[in-house]
Amino acid sequence: MADTAADSLSDFLASAVDAARKAGEIIRKGFYQTKHVEHKGQVDLVTETDKACEDLIFNHLKNLYPTHKFIGEETTAACGTTELTDEPTWIVDPLDGTTNFVHGFPFVCVSIGLTIGKVPTVGVVYNPIIDELFTGVHGKGAFLNGKPIKVSTQTDLISSLLATEAGTKRDKVTLDASTNRINSLLSKVRSLRMSGSCALNLCGIACGRLDVFYETGFGGPWDVAGGAVIVTEAGGVVFDPSGAEFDVTAQRVAASNPSLKDAFVEALRQTE
Amino acid sequence: MADNDSLSEFLASAVDAARKAGDIIRKGFYETKHVQHKGQVDLVTETDKACEELIFKHLKHLYPTHKFIGEETTAALGTTELTDEPTWIVDPVDGTTNFVHGYPFVCVSIGLTIGKIPTVGVVYNPIIEELFTAIRGKGAFLNGNPIKVSAQTELITSLLGTEAPTQRDKLSVDGCTNRINNMLSKVRSLRMSGSCALNLCGIACGRLDVCFELGFGGPWDVAAGAVIIREAGGVVFDLSGADFDITSRRVAASNPFLKDALVMLCAKPSEKLGLHRSWWKIGILSKSTCVNAFC
Repeated sequence: MADTAADSLSDFLASAVDAARKAGEIIRKGFYQTKHVEHKGQVDLVTETDKACEDLIFNHLKNLYPTHKFIGEETTAACGTTELTDEPTWIVDPLDGTTNFVHGFPFVCVSIGLTIGKVPTVGVVYNPIIDELFTGVHGKGAFLNGKPIKVSTQTDLISSLLATEAGTKRDKVTLDASTNRINSLLSKVRSLRMSGSCALNLCGIACGRLDVFYETGFGGPWDVAGGAVIVTEAGGVVFDPSGAEFDVTAQRVAASNPSLKDAFVEALRQTE
Repeated sequence: MADNDSLSEFLASAVDAARKAGDIIRKGFYETKHVQHKGQVDLVTETDKACEELIFKHLKHLYPTHKFIGEETTAALGTTELTDEPTWIVDPVDGTTNFVHGYPFVCVSIGLTIGKIPTVGVVYNPIIEELFTAIRGKGAFLNGNPIKVSAQTELITSLLGTEAPTQRDKLSVDGCTNRINNMLSKVRSLRMSGSCALNLCGIACGRLDVCFELGFGGPWDVAAGAVIIREAGGVVFDLSGADFDITSRRVAASNPFLKDALVMLCAKPSEKLGLHRSWWKIGILSKSTCVNAFC
């Protein structure tokens, strides 16, 4: 059983930050260059940078923690799904916001989460273009570039800033459900933001620049494992859009400050 | 008529004013804001008003004969007609909702029209520290580095920027989400960042490929961005395909390759036939393309 003392967690955080910064340099260099792009689906992209960053992060962490498990977006795409166990498991999206990366839109990040007993316990999300490093350790608070952050104090949904995404599935059924949901929500919130990175949306909730967020059908646990800790440590709540408990493997997430959760879940329920 | 030296001077003055206003915005960005509503979702803060005063005073002092159109002054005193006189058209804080929430897409937008043509443009995001500038005929720049629109030729691999309407009546919201529904099957993805001027600059520097917005506040949202896009090699137009009208509160923009596809995508079925006919006549489309498309 892994040693989960506070020292270890701080150690794990420091290693993850190190890996994130190194991967961030690769991303920053590639950001303004022509990219060679492959399609994983109709709109889901992957680049050499995604793969290079995942290799770097895995090697860095495997070297330090050879008994830990690893789940990465690109490795999963290549080799199939690894089941999440209670073992300390690093869950990595080497480049969240690949579409943004390809287009030069500055919302891209490395997302590194560590689960222990399947619970997100350490989280690092790093946007190397805007240079924002979000970190969180279970019980130790959440930080942006070393400064403590808290979720917003917004209590009214109608004054809230909502984030969601267009999604990668573009069949008529999914699209219709998605835009109908947005249509219903637009009369209940202040405004809507779509920035193209699930991990950065979670961090937006954590630092209070967004009030409510939901996304369904995103790639995998790597999109949320890092952000979930950061939101929770910033005083926020992470849950299933139905109001049920959050499941890191479900490809469904919602987040908000505690005051808005019930109203938000109710508003989402009304879009069904 | 202004000569090159004058235009460079106008740009330098506008950049100066934008940076000073940017300092006020940056300081206020992380503080609690006192917010009033101009409409159901249209906000204004003390920062908007303070920045507009600062910019007006700065420019009026240098150019006392020039005219001024500002978002907050217009809200207070009513619309000023746009004439051929050199006119500074200013949005002191574009993205006020973002400013209130601490979402880092806010900017100062300062445009100068001469003969009603956008001629000098400055858009400054003091949070991310991005300064977009352009003078008609002299290129467009981001933090001093030249920028160009994207080379994207296909809508299906394009990134689209647009916004939710400030009017939230059923008609406006239905129109918006129906449009989004239609477009999401034809573009790569959608970004909504909350600042019209920064969306236009996104087109200019190639991080967005197509954008449009309908029903935004006024000419102050687009006066600067229009110059910047044109100087970056892009095109600014009405979503119907008609010429851009700076006072119409409607804007669309893209690189030159994507304009027709965007216009066609958004055209109502009754308009599409007309578009096809006129494009066939002027040689843009072959007859077979028109026949296939109409069917």
